[in-house]
Amino acid sequence: MNADLLKGHLDALILAIVAARPIHGYAIIEELKLRSGGELALPEGTVYPALHRLEHAGLLSSSWSGGARRRRVYRLTRRGRRELGVRRDEWKQFARTVEAVLA
Amino acid sequence: MIFCVRDLSRELARAGVPRRLRRRIEAEFTDHLACDPQAELGRAADVARSFADQLGTSRVRRAAFAAFAALAIAGSLFAVAFVSAGWAGPNGSRVYMSSAAAGYAGTVLVLFVPQLALVAGSLAALRAFRRRHDTVIPRREATVIGRRTAVALASGLASMGGLLLLGLEFNGRLAGWWTSLTLAAAAAGTCAIAIALPAFVFAARLRPLARGSAGDLFDDLDGVVPARLQGRPWALACFVAGAVSLAVALSGALQADGIDGALRGLAEALACLIGFALLGRYLGLRGQVPGRRSPIQ
Repeated sequence: MNADLLKGHLDALILAIVAARPIHGYAIIEELKLRSGGELALPEGTVYPALHRLEHAGLLSSSWSGGARRRRVYRLTRRGRRELGVRRDEWKQFARTVEAVLA
Repeated sequence: MIFCVRDLSRELARAGVPRRLRRRIEAEFTDHLACDPQAELGRAADVARSFADQLGTSRVRRAAFAAFAALAIAGSLFAVAFVSAGWAGPNGSRVYMSSAAAGYAGTVLVLFVPQLALVAGSLAALRAFRRRHDTVIPRREATVIGRRTAVALASGLASMGGLLLLGLEFNGRLAGWWTSLTLAAAAAGTCAIAIALPAFVFAARLRPLARGSAGDLFDDLDGVVPARLQGRPWALACFVAGAVSLAVALSGALQADGIDGALRGLAEALACLIGFALLGRYLGLRGQVPGRRSPIQ
């Protein structure tokens, strides 16, 4: 899938994946690939700046995991959950509209 | 392409990412490469630029909003102290006519500098608000927002200093409660502004690198400026100065002192135009903002 098509939706995709469980960066990217059947294979380095930005915006929180390997685990905040709901509604509306035109 | 965390670290440093944040990013990428040594992470320079662009944009916006909120609190306290002077003594409404040197300094600081804080802070917040949905804004635009925030915070602090001077200057000449109120307002306002300073410092340390223009006053006031004034910054400045002058003169007339009101209106208009001439370019109100060159081209 063209990476440009993803540009406006990367935040919503990340929020949706983190909503399921606390998760680290590599696992987010793997989950993206898995859920999209390999269609969403974006440059992996672009996910981390987005994660930091979403955290700065208060939509995600993060902490170091206590396991053997030092890794940053991200969680959805209450505000992030609200934002995800808004983004889902917007997407459904957008998809319905485009579908109506294209069909 | 093999991604090297050491290259990323160097590029992050070049992009201005602070050391502590750099360490965290390096740890995350190290973990990622431990999971998949062949991961397609892109070019280190591009990743570093992306961090600087996105985090720099978020930070400068947050700093502008924090400064505006702090100045709103400080401004309200300032207004309470200033307006209540009218009830604090027989000449309370003329507290700024003191002859002492401290009183003169306080007069300049409480009459003109707060207006600068209000204008700069509002313009910083307005630009940040207009760009609230943008993931990345150009470096020049971030520079404009940063400068406006800096001027607003510095002017806000100076205003609180002026209020403090005024409170001390009129201690004993006006009612005791007014002195206490004014000193407390100055202290509380200073604290409010001080709370907003860290956000400004964080934003100043990391600026986006994206190219693009900064825009000007007409971008800030898009849809508000009359068509005849579009693209003519000095004409707009004269229009605003005239409107301010008229408002002050009218308020003077309503207080049954038309001549004093007219003189104060004239002084306000002059202050507007002098401020526009001195700071217009620096604050991105007119012309192009040169700004510093991006460290990564």
